[in-house]
Amino acid sequence: MTSSKRLFRFPRRETRDSAKHTFLGLTVPPLVLYMGFWTLFPMVWGFLLAFFDYSARRTGSTFLGLGEDNPFVALQNFGEMLNFAEDAPLIVRQFHISVKTTLLFAFLILPLNLLITLPLAALIESVHERVKGVFRTFFFLPVLAPSVGVAIMWGYLYHPQRGLLNAIIGAVAGKLTAINWTGDQSLVLMGIPVALIAVIVAYLWQDLGYNLVIFIAALQSIPESLREAARIDGASDWQVFWHVTLPLLRPTILLAAMLTMISSFQVFDIIQVLTNGGPNEQTRVMTIDIYNNAFRFQNMGWASAVSVVLFLLVLVISLVQNRLLKTEWEY
Amino acid sequence: MNVTTSNRLRLSEQLEEEPKLIHRSRQGHWAAYLMLTLASVVAALPFIWMVFGSFKSGREIRQVPPTFFPEEFTLENYQTILNDKDLPLGLFYRNSAIIAFANVVTVLFTSSLVGYIFAKFEFKSKKILFWFILATMMLPFQVRMIPGYLILAKLGLINNLWGLIIPSAVDAFGIFLFRQFALSVPNELLDAARVDGASEFRIYRSIVLPELGPALATFGMLSFMFSWNAYLWPLIILTEQNVRTLPIILTWYSNQHGSQPHLTMAASVLVIAPVLLVFMLTQRWIVKGITLTGIK
Repeated sequence: MTSSKRLFRFPRRETRDSAKHTFLGLTVPPLVLYMGFWTLFPMVWGFLLAFFDYSARRTGSTFLGLGEDNPFVALQNFGEMLNFAEDAPLIVRQFHISVKTTLLFAFLILPLNLLITLPLAALIESVHERVKGVFRTFFFLPVLAPSVGVAIMWGYLYHPQRGLLNAIIGAVAGKLTAINWTGDQSLVLMGIPVALIAVIVAYLWQDLGYNLVIFIAALQSIPESLREAARIDGASDWQVFWHVTLPLLRPTILLAAMLTMISSFQVFDIIQVLTNGGPNEQTRVMTIDIYNNAFRFQNMGWASAVSVVLFLLVLVISLVQNRLLKTEWEY
Repeated sequence: MNVTTSNRLRLSEQLEEEPKLIHRSRQGHWAAYLMLTLASVVAALPFIWMVFGSFKSGREIRQVPPTFFPEEFTLENYQTILNDKDLPLGLFYRNSAIIAFANVVTVLFTSSLVGYIFAKFEFKSKKILFWFILATMMLPFQVRMIPGYLILAKLGLINNLWGLIIPSAVDAFGIFLFRQFALSVPNELLDAARVDGASEFRIYRSIVLPELGPALATFGMLSFMFSWNAYLWPLIILTEQNVRTLPIILTWYSNQHGSQPHLTMAASVLVIAPVLLVFMLTQRWIVKGITLTGIK
């Protein structure tokens, strides 16, 4: 009886299809319009701007303010970027510095980050379950803090007169030290400006917890039986880590490495607050270059061209990542 | 939110299995404890230095070499800040809260709805749309930043909290993530509801949303954190004092009081500490969100 009643109430196929149709009609088109306007449109506009000499101060034509007072310059912005002459305009030299600094920053962050987070994750995994959580929280905390606050905090560690760092060095050396970690352009260590190292340390400090929790989760997902088997075969703890754990972590490490690199290409907050690109452009990364050109000097065409270059750099990293991640793995 | 690549979801595939909790109890690892404790102390120093500094007097903070512990413990800095007419902290907390709350609610709604549609429905141009959503995830925010500002300027939404709410209502990564989660909602469940005569919106609300519950909590917490701590975009959009959010106001205050670090330190504590406490209590979800999605 009940089943026949059910069957009777079963909506006819056309009714169900039309209900689905209405549902899709009410949800998909608004979404397309919304994303079209707030995402696709600015994206296309951003690429267009790179081919114009554009400033929001000038009116330009009715089409997005492009043309007329904001003339189309074709590839001139990009051509200028390839001007490596000594007497190239300041804006071009600043761009060169920013690309160099961004690459230096990203390629220093990556190994330092992995060298700290991998052993730290293994170390945390090795201690007792109850304290494990405490340590994890502890190292993860800076990830949750606003990076602006982190930058201000580190500013007071680095302060020439009142900073903790100089106080410690002074106490050890037995005399007053007043090293200007973030402001003295003459300080260079192995060809790397000390101000850039200072910024890198602050960034690392905030960013470590991120890869740390990823590695801890990955370590936990490796079946204990595999390590157990190696131990039974007589492997030492170190050998187990090197020959069993690490190879199994490889895909996670690769992925974490690429994410770390891509996000360090886009670093802004800590550098803007701590050094604002100084001293003498030593910490000027591409995002600072883009921000300053676009919003301080209203040079938005050039800034867009720089952001396109940043996009291309990130794209290359993503493609390399795809290549490397193609390796199969299972256990 | 900084999302650049679709490969993150591979991470979630790798980590989806529940962690194995079988561990050999090892007592003799005192070296590990020692190293971890030492590392913790070093990691905590920036926080400790700031908190101690916020309790030092203006005279003590200028001392060279500086003291570590506050010699004359004072709450004066906090009183000064809380009574500062130019720094209505309550207002900035309100601005940050409004924006973060609105961002979370809108993003959770659109991501879950659209993610569900992409997972369970077939329609024309679905492939192209999804490809487009993936593509926007690859693009650094900086490419959209300048036109985004120009659009808001045209619409008169600069120095308006709506300027930070409206453009962020749909998030490509959220859609992508919720599609993955919605794929695992059983079709039988949806069809059974249809047989029982539930409308499509009703199915989304009463069946799909509860099924996505854990994902909503995780992604919601993450979005809240990103929104609360955001700096670059609010810096561009909010240039007038009364609409600013906490991170922007903190750097403003720090620049204004460059010669009074005791005050800036106290202000930093007031801005960072309360919400850090909240994030600490909810970090279980945040950690889960990060390990599951690789979002950054």
